Order: sequence, then structure tokens, then C-alpha cells
Amino acid sequence: MILDPELELHPQKLIANRKRKADKFNLYKAIFLDIFFVFYFILVVQRAIYYKFILNLSDLPFSWNEILSIFIGSVVIGTFWALSKTSLSCKLLGIAKDNKTTKWTVEIFGWSLFNITFIAGWIVTKISIVGLFSSEGIAGAERLFGAMFTPQFRIFDDALFAMIETIYIALIATLISIPPTLVLSFFTARNLMKDNKISFAVYYVLRIILNFIRSIEPLIWAIIFSVWVGIGPFAGMIALLVHTIASNAKLYSEAIEGIEQGPVEAISATGANKIQVVWHGVVPQIVLPFLSFTIYRWDINVRMATIIGLVGGGGIGTMLMQYQGLARWHEVGLIIIMIAFVVWIMDYVSAKIREAIY
Amino acid sequence: MLLEIQNLHKIYNNGTHALKGISFGVNEGEFLVVIGLSGSGKSTLLRCINRLIEPTSGTVRFLGKDITHIKGEELRKIKAQIGMVFQQFNLIKRRSVLSNVLNGKLGSLSTFDTILEKYSDEVYKEAYKCLETVGISEKAKVRADSLSGGQQQRVAIARSLMQSPKLLLADEPVASLDPATSNSVMQYFEKVNKEFGTTVICNLHFLSLVRRYATRVIALKAGEIIYQGAPSDINETWFRTIYGEEAEEVEIR
Repeated sequence: MILDPELELHPQKLIANRKRKADKFNLYKAIFLDIFFVFYFILVVQRAIYYKFILNLSDLPFSWNEILSIFIGSVVIGTFWALSKTSLSCKLLGIAKDNKTTKWTVEIFGWSLFNITFIAGWIVTKISIVGLFSSEGIAGAERLFGAMFTPQFRIFDDALFAMIETIYIALIATLISIPPTLVLSFFTARNLMKDNKISFAVYYVLRIILNFIRSIEPLIWAIIFSVWVGIGPFAGMIALLVHTIASNAKLYSEAIEGIEQGPVEAISATGANKIQVVWHGVVPQIVLPFLSFTIYRWDINVRMATIIGLVGGGGIGTMLMQYQGLARWHEVGLIIIMIAFVVWIMDYVSAKIREAIY
Repeated sequence: MLLEIQNLHKIYNNGTHALKGISFGVNEGEFLVVIGLSGSGKSTLLRCINRLIEPTSGTVRFLGKDITHIKGEELRKIKAQIGMVFQQFNLIKRRSVLSNVLNGKLGSLSTFDTILEKYSDEVYKEAYKCLETVGISEKAKVRADSLSGGQQQRVAIARSLMQSPKLLLADEPVASLDPATSNSVMQYFEKVNKEFGTTVICNLHFLSLVRRYATRVIALKAGEIIYQGAPSDINETWFRTIYGEEAEEVEIR
């Protein structure tokens, strides 16, 4: 019985068929990439380099018609370029013709893309060597650093309490994150989910959601939650929790993807079902990496909790923000020293614990 | 006939044509050895038998039943009757020898009980008996990765014995062991074969081991069977056909 009609072909033909399909798909990808490269190239040269730098305009002229015509131009150039199989993306996808034209386009266009990107970046960042070394600027910095090196110990009690609050925020966020992260990590591990279509769809959707959550920084989550649940430690904790779940689920699932396949194969060869394979073949291999990631994450969360405090997440960060707003630099100095000290200790302790369990 | 394979093909997704129409049968109680160069398709063949790899076409019959396309519960029942031993032992390194052996019973116990590790006294007794068979019961409580290679492979044999297998597959079981240990591990396979009547299919590299333990030999070359017969009939000419012109026989004892 043959299930797949493809298999009635001679194996050699089957292989050739598969290769032809892959090449065709790569050509479509190359067309899209080339259109993008050309479009990007023209836009950057026109707007950042020509308008902003050469003409030195402060308000860039903007019209949709202009952009549309550039886009149509890029579509035409990019399509023909990719179809001629001598373009940069053809080379990247490994379907380019092997001749001189390809070599030249790849080298010249590739370098130009890199260079205009760097130049545009320089212009957009408004890099100014003069600003860095002006005398007023340096005087201000001196005043600030001087104050910080003579800290004000009058607020030590308050700062200590705020610091402890920060450490607890980080600890609770890390602890609460463990169960949901564990569950999520199994559903986002490719090697466990790829076998059937439904589980692969679940894997895919979960990955997209987690990537989205992770791409929003804890600082921004803190802003969102300080509106949602009100300014204070709770907002900070939830912000950290959300981000910790999303990032650790990725780390955990990568640990699952990186386990030795041999034992898993051996367990499934005994006739064990999926749940048994995971529990007896996968779990024993990942307990220690998980523990290690979690401890490391607590360390990261302590650092993040101070930053989150700046936008109303409670703890030492909020206190820092208040004194900075009042321009009381001696108090700010004390708080910064305390943060540095605690972060250093946490870093050391978590490294030692992680060493010990391995 | 215990196992019957007909016109088996395997083409991997990257285009490698690993098996090109393999057909053979295995009778109960045989000690069949598969030889051939690395990459000749030996491991693929073994894994197609217990469906760790899905064959592309052809049929595999086990105990008269076509198992080429069965799925789910039915497949697991079949897998539970076929033991497998690997080159890299594939034990769970951080767990004890005993729990590694107990893993062999997973296919016939309820999921819930195995997750809570609630095993009955009989199962424990059976595990110790399997460990005794391979002469390693005193190491039951030790962590698996603290054992030597040969000992780990014996634990792996004990794990497969927990399945009370009708068929035992061994994928180059002695390829990462030294010659002396190789021989002692092979003796346990022989013991299982002779005492319990378990049919063994084993991939091997060393002809001296093949001659000593095999009751029948199959040689693979580039995915095809090029020799089938008694181990004693493999003469110099056959040896060069199987392993290539430059090959020279290495004696291990």
C-alpha cells in the first residue's frame, strides 16, 4: 500500500521534483527581497542622504505619490533583477547564476547597502563630537559626579527599605513565573510539537504571542500596568512577571530543543506514549538548566526592578526618580551606590549557585 | 516467521535514498547480524523495523501482522514487544540504574502510575531480575552516568529485557566499547538469545564478532542487500565486496 501518490515516481525523479519546487519557492522569496533592497536603497539615499544631509532640510517633504512611484520603480527593477538570477538575494538564497555579473552586483550592491546604512545612521543619530567635549557640558558632569561621590547617608533607612522592596518584587515575579513558564515551554519546543499539524499550529501561534510579549520591554509593560493597577510595587511585579514568562519560556524551550535525542528515542522505542516520553525522557534532562535559568532570571529581575521603579513600579527606582527630580544629587549618589552594591552581590551569588548545581 | 520485510524503501527529506528495496525474513530464535560500511543503511533498516523512522514504501510484517502503517495505541503495543539497544546506550544519565531499567516497562503500565513512579513489587522484582541477568544488580542505586561504557550498555540491555521482547534490535551495540568489553557485552546478547529464545537483530562492524555470535548474516551496501547467508561463508572475496577493495580484516578477540 502506498499512501502518498508522489511515491509512485522513481526515487531519483522524486528528489529532482522536490529540488525544483524548493528552487521555485526561493525565486519568489528572492523577488520580494530584491524589491525590498532596491526600495530601501532609493529611499535612504533620497531622504536621509540627499534631503537631510546635502540639502540640510529640517522638514522633510513627504508625499504618498512620491513614495508610491519609488515603490513601483523598485518593484520593476527588483523583479527583473531577481528573474535574471544575478541579484544579491539570488546569491543569498543560493539560486544565482555563477558568473561575473553576479559577482559584481553582489559585491558592489552589497557594499553600497552597508555603507549607505551606516552613513544614514550617522546622520540620523546626530553624532556630534563637539557636544561631547564642550566646556559647559564637562562642568555639569563634574558637578554631578562630585555630588555622587559624596553621598548623603541621612536617607539610608528609607533607601534600604526601598531596596528590600525591589528585591522582593523581583523574587515574587520570578517565583510566580515558574509554573506558567514550565507549561508554555513544552508547547513551544519544536522537537515536541512538530509531529502533527494541530500541535504545530499551537506551537506556531504560541511562539508568535510570546515573541510579541517579549519584544515589549519590561519598562513599557510597567507603564501599561501602572495605569491598569495603579502606581506601585504591584504594577512593577506584574510587568516583570509578564516579561519573565515570555523570555524564560523561550530559554526553557530552547533547552528542550537542545536535549540529547538518544534517550528520548530509547524511551519511545519501549512503546511509551507521548506523555511518558516527555516525563521520563525529556524532563530529567532539563531540570538543571531550568533551575539555572530561573536563578539567573531573578538576578536580571533585580536589575530590571530598579529600572521599572523609574516609571512608577515601586521600590528603589521610584525613590531614585523622586530625588533626581528634586536635583538632590547627594541622595541620588547614595541610591546609586546601593543599587550597584546589591546588583554586584546578586550577580556573584547567582553565579555561585549556578556553578554549584551543575 | 517472526519478521518479514518486503521491498522496503527509505528516502530521507534531504534526498538520501538510504534503503533501496530491502527484502528478507527472520525466524524465531535467530541471531541475525547486519554488516556493512557506515552509511550503508544498517541503522535506518533497524529503525524502520520498530518504526522510529517511517519507511517510505514497502511492508514490515511482525508476527504475521502488517505494522508498516499502524498508528497510536496499536503501534505502541508493537513497540513494547520489540526491545532496542543503541550505540550510545541512551540511558537517562542523571537517573539511577534502577529507574532506567524501570523505563523499559513504560509501554505496559498506566501513564498516571509511571508519572508518580508507583511501581508494584512485581515490577521491582522483575527489574532486579533483569539486572541480575546482565550481572549488574549491585549497581541498581547508582547514577547511570557513573558507570563505565560496558556497564551502561548492560543496563540498556536490562532495560530492553523489561519489555520481555519477542525481538531485540541492537544498533552497533559495541561500537563505542573497547575490544574486551565488546566481547563481554556480546555474550549477554548471546545469553538472552539462547536462554530466553529472544530473536536478535544486531548491527556489527567486526567480522570476528560476527563469526562468533551470528547464526545468519546480511550484508548491506549502499542501501541494498548484497550478501545473505552463514557467517562462515564470508570469505576474502566477499569481504572485499562488502567493505571495498582497500579493506583489511582486523582481528579482535
